[in-house]
Formats: sequence, C-alpha cells, structure tokens
Amino acid sequence: MLEYNDKIKEIAGRLLKDCSVEMVIGFRKGTVPMMNEPHFAKTPADVEDLVWDSNCGINLANYLTDRKEKIGIVAKGCDSRNIVTHIQENKIKREQIVIIGVPCQGMIDKRRITAMVKGEIQEVVENGDKITVKGHDFEETFAKQEVLQMNCTVCQHRNPVIHDELVGEPVAEQTDVDRYADVKAIEAMNPEDRWAFFDDLFKSCIRCYACKNACPLCYCPTCFVDESKPQWVGKSQDALDIKTFHFLRAYHCAGRCTDCGACERACPVGINMRILTKKLEMDGKELFDWEAGLDLDVRPALDVYQPNDPDVFIK
Amino acid sequence: MKIVQIDKKDWGAGLKKLRDAFRLVGPVRDGDYHSFKELDQGTEPDFEFSNTRLSVKEIIYPQSEDLFEFSLDQSSEDHDQMREVAKDYSPRAVLGLRPCDAKAVELVKLNFDTDEYKDPYWLNLYQATTFVGLACDRPCSTCFCTTAGCGPYHEEGLDVLLVDEGPTYLAKALTAKGEALLTAAGWETAAEAEAVIVEKRAAAEALILSKVATDKLQEADTLALHGADFWEDVSFACINCGTCTYVCPTCWCFDIQDEVHGTQGKRMRNWDSCMFPIFTVHTTGHNPRDTKLQRVRQRFMHKLKYFVDKYDQGIMCVGCGRCVRQCPVNIDIRRVCDLMNSYAASDACAVEGS
Amino acid sequence: MLFNNLMEFMGIEPGRIQFSWISSAESTKFVEVVNEVTAEIKALGPNMRFVKEKAKVA
Repeated sequence: MLEYNDKIKEIAGRLLKDCSVEMVIGFRKGTVPMMNEPHFAKTPADVEDLVWDSNCGINLANYLTDRKEKIGIVAKGCDSRNIVTHIQENKIKREQIVIIGVPCQGMIDKRRITAMVKGEIQEVVENGDKITVKGHDFEETFAKQEVLQMNCTVCQHRNPVIHDELVGEPVAEQTDVDRYADVKAIEAMNPEDRWAFFDDLFKSCIRCYACKNACPLCYCPTCFVDESKPQWVGKSQDALDIKTFHFLRAYHCAGRCTDCGACERACPVGINMRILTKKLEMDGKELFDWEAGLDLDVRPALDVYQPNDPDVFIK
Repeated sequence: MKIVQIDKKDWGAGLKKLRDAFRLVGPVRDGDYHSFKELDQGTEPDFEFSNTRLSVKEIIYPQSEDLFEFSLDQSSEDHDQMREVAKDYSPRAVLGLRPCDAKAVELVKLNFDTDEYKDPYWLNLYQATTFVGLACDRPCSTCFCTTAGCGPYHEEGLDVLLVDEGPTYLAKALTAKGEALLTAAGWETAAEAEAVIVEKRAAAEALILSKVATDKLQEADTLALHGADFWEDVSFACINCGTCTYVCPTCWCFDIQDEVHGTQGKRMRNWDSCMFPIFTVHTTGHNPRDTKLQRVRQRFMHKLKYFVDKYDQGIMCVGCGRCVRQCPVNIDIRRVCDLMNSYAASDACAVEGS
Repeated sequence: MLFNNLMEFMGIEPGRIQFSWISSAESTKFVEVVNEVTAEIKALGPNMRFVKEKAKVA
C-alpha cells in the first residue's frame, strides 16, 4: 500500500491548489513505531507530510463531525462507510467533502506484533506483504496476514463504497471469512460462562473513553456517561458500571457500526470490546439483512419500519 | 546512606520476613504488560519489565475511592451525617517502581501537601508506603527522564534504590524508612558500592537518547505561548479521551460525587481528566474550555508552563513516556515541548490571549 | 429485540427480559401477560446479573 503515498499527495496537492477544499485530512508519520498521527494539510506545501501505510487504522471520519469547511478526506473502505452514515445522520454534508478513496489491504495490529516479539520494538518496516520488526537484539519478519488487526481479518468491504477520487485499483474483497466466529463462540456458552467472559474482558478498563472518542459514531454533545441528572451509569471503577458503559455504548452503535476497529485500536489497555458491536452487527444482518453505510440512498434498517420486520420477541 | 548487597538467593526469604511488617505491592505480569498489584503469599514481584502500563500513582491514589458514607434513613440515629469510611492504612511497601514514577509522586505531593491544604486520603496512603525503587539499566526509546528532572537512577521520592547486579541486588537506603525496611527483611550485608552505582548510573543515563529542551520555558511569555499558532496543528488529532491523564504519574485531577442507593449513600472521588469536554463545565452551563484546542493547549501549558512558573521545580513531567506510547493518535509531548521551548526563544511579540 | 439479544449475549438468562405490546383497551391481555411473565421470571429465580447495590470501589 506504500504506492498510495504519492497518489495521495498528488490528489491532495491538486485539491488544495485549485481550492476545491480548504484542508485535506490524512495522516503524518508517527513518532513511535506502528503509529501515524491524524493530520491536516492546508497548503500544497503541507501535503509532503502526508503518509499512507499499514499503520493507518484510525478512522478519519471521526474528524469530520460538525465541521463547516470544505474538506478532502482520505478514506479506506470502513471509513467511507462511516462517511455515508455521517452524511445520513447530518453530521457532514456531501457537498462539503471530497473523498479520496483508498482500496485497503488491511492494517497491522501493534499490540499483536508487540506480543509476538521479546523486547522493545524500535522499528517496523513494511515491504509489500512482509512486515519486518526490529528491536535492540532481534529482527523478525512476519507475513502481513499474521499481524493484521482483527477486524481487518474478517473485512469484506475493503474498497471505498463512496469516493470522488481513488488512489489505486480496487482490491479483491475477501470471500472466505467467517465474520462472526467470535460471536458464535460466545453464543455457544451458557449464561454463567458468558457473564464470566465479560467480567474478564472488562476487568482492566480505566474508563478513559478512548474507544468512545475514537469512534466516528459517538458524537453526542453530551454522552450518556457524562450525564448526572439523571445519572444513567456510575462514573467509578465499579465493575458493573464499567460493563454498563460498554454495552450501552455498543448498543448506541447498533445498525451503524462498520467494524472499523478504531475502538480496539485506541484502547490503552487492550480490551477487545468489538465483540459487542459484532454481535449487534450479526443480528442486524440476520434479522434485517442490514449492513451499515453501504448506500447513501438507503435509510438504515433501524430507521424505518418494514411490515416484515421480525417481531417474534413480542408477546 | 548505607548500601547493602542482597544475594538473589536470599530475596524470597527477605520478602517473607517483610510480610510481617508490610503489605507488599509490586509489578506482576498482566496479559501483555505489567501492572502494580498487591502480592499475595508466595508471589514475588516480576522485574522483567521496562515500566508498568499504569503508573504507581494508583497505589497511593486509587482511581475510585470512597471518601464518606451516609445514611438517609430518617429513623437512623446518624442520618444525614457524613461518616468517615473505614480505611486500611497499614504499612505497605511498593517493590520495583521506577525512579521516574517516584519523582512523580514528589511532584504530586507539591499539590496534595501544602501549608494551606493537605489531602488526607492521599497523604495517609503516601505516609503508609515505603517506596523501593528499581534502577533502569535498559531504558525505552520513549524515555526522556534525564531532561525531565529525573533519570534512570534518580533517588528523589524513593526510600530504597535497588540496582540489579546479576546474581545480587545492591540496595541503597535513602531514608530512615528505607533503612527500616532493609532491616525488617534481614538484608544487612553492607557493601562499599557507591562507585559501582555511580558508574552504572552514568551508563544508564547515556542510554537515554530521547531528550526535550525546557530551558526557555520559564522565561517565556505566558500569553505569547497561549496565543501561539501551533496549537491547531498540535491538537487536531486529539480525540479528548483520558488516556494521557490516566497513565500519567503526575496528573492529579479528580471529581467528587455522591452515589445513593435507597437510603444508603457514599461520597467518592474518581480520577477526572482535563481532556474530557465537561471537565470545566460550570453549573450555569457555560464551558470556558469547550473546544478541543483549548483543552489540549491547557494540558500542555499546565505541564510545561504553569507548573514551571508556580513551583519552580522544572516541568510537571518525569519523562516516563507512557503518554507517548499510549496515546491512540500519537500526540507526542516531546514534540510539543520542543515547539513551546523554541517558540519562546523566538522574538514573537506578546499577542492577546485567544 | 437487538437489546434483548445483547443482554442474553452477555449472560442474562433467556426469558428474563420480555416484551409485550398491550393497548390500554386490552385489559384481559394485560392480566394474562402479567401473570405469565411473573410466573416465568419467578421460575428463573432471583436475578444475579447487572445488580448494583453500592459502587464497589477502593
């Protein structure tokens, strides 16, 4: 995907030069391995800082919310679906944005990689399908497939669903993936084991809200966790309050989540909270045949009533 | 102060003896990282780590802490009265914190232990704790402690400094508390090892390659820094989560709140973060920092300017690098510090604060 | 339904959360449903999940 670098700079430079946009949102190189920083370019000279590689997992649609400028935005498959949702939810206007679409081949997972080597990682070099990880006294090379972000391993929408420009040829979509293997594993457990699983999952949560804030869908002016009159959920480290925060946040994303993985990526303590939104995504697909953000002209399933909406759960 | 040599074969036995006098806390492996946990019988601290994920601050300053209890049951004798919560302030020893974290405790103490005001909860836990630090011989690439007021062998805030010598530890007692701990453990084999420590210290400090420049921060004009043009670029990526503030050993803000269930209630405090949008919301609804830029700017100004001016003890940062490693969007305080320090060095005229 | 599924997914026993649509003109149905739900929940026993009495903190 490194070949996209030049194309992104070319497109961004052109858009800024002819003033089609006032800023281009992309990434600049990070200061630590496997990280890039969301960055905006406002002049053609600024575009030289823009980079693209397999460390661009952050969802840039998060930075569009309620902005008033004309913006060029670099968007991979999942990001583009969030842009569709953003437009449908009136968080940005279609006319405001020029979508620089990136056919994505997956993002690497820095936590996964860190767990696979012993010692501090000083440099990670990407070469096509090979990821070479270098430390003080080690150097190991992995196939990209082995170190992908978990959501990328089951992604079936790598190509942008909406774009004004495309930085490369569309890539083949993955076909032989079981998107919901993790969800089904939980569903095979009895209630006690499920409860214990979630107890264990959230035990390290420090209520930093990195997951919520990295998510493009979480844009409420006052989040439910910040309310105190009435107080829907406690703000302390009480285990039940922590669980409540997570399931209620996931529930707010029902029918909207594109599984971009920004939440898991942002978490400083490595909680895999996607399991909740994945369950909701599976239900959305199976019960309503719905996938979020694929088509600007179709109202989301949870937005509209269809006579054949499943209702077996109501007496 | 005296230095003793501890044969690692005697380490376990010493810990066992310590348990007669102290609850022991130390780093243990916790998934992919290390965390400070209370060590139960038989568990030894695991020193195979660079630094813990969260800092030592959670040991003397729990993230959620009960302050008072009360009953609203009108038939109860002490209804509507705040009662102190029973607390356990029995002596505890933290084994294996890094010197940066220890220095951070001293910086926080500047705020929680003043002539006008003392935080009893923080102070009680602080005074009950003996800090046994572990010197760093293999710092991370994100450590910049030597230019942040401490270093891999720094002694401020520690009662004992442990230095790993392979088959032995050297333990330098730095305070009376430290000496008492070494005696309680039965580690009393004196060693003439000051020179060794000095040498190892120099070697470790040489391995710290990441540096920040802070020399121009104090003399800089506050309003000029506040109105600088780089804040938009610095703050753009920020998602206003609490990660940096929660992993930071020098951050101290908290929020007090009551929770009532039926007729029983408690008043507790939770860590709060200046990054959160409602951090500065007033009861009128007005929010003086309701934009991301204002909040991000505030955090860096506090760490690198206001604290510097107020306490004259250097920056409110010990260079542990946790925020740099953990920030989900890679905002780097080292970069911001250099921007601020070099901005101050220019001849920018004071601009009206924005 | 999605909410019910999510709750069951997290460990609430199936049948503990129930939904019914009853108009104020359907008093007979109301009585039936209340009795049915009460009996079914009682058979499940006391709820132990998602119960918070006092925040458990330091």
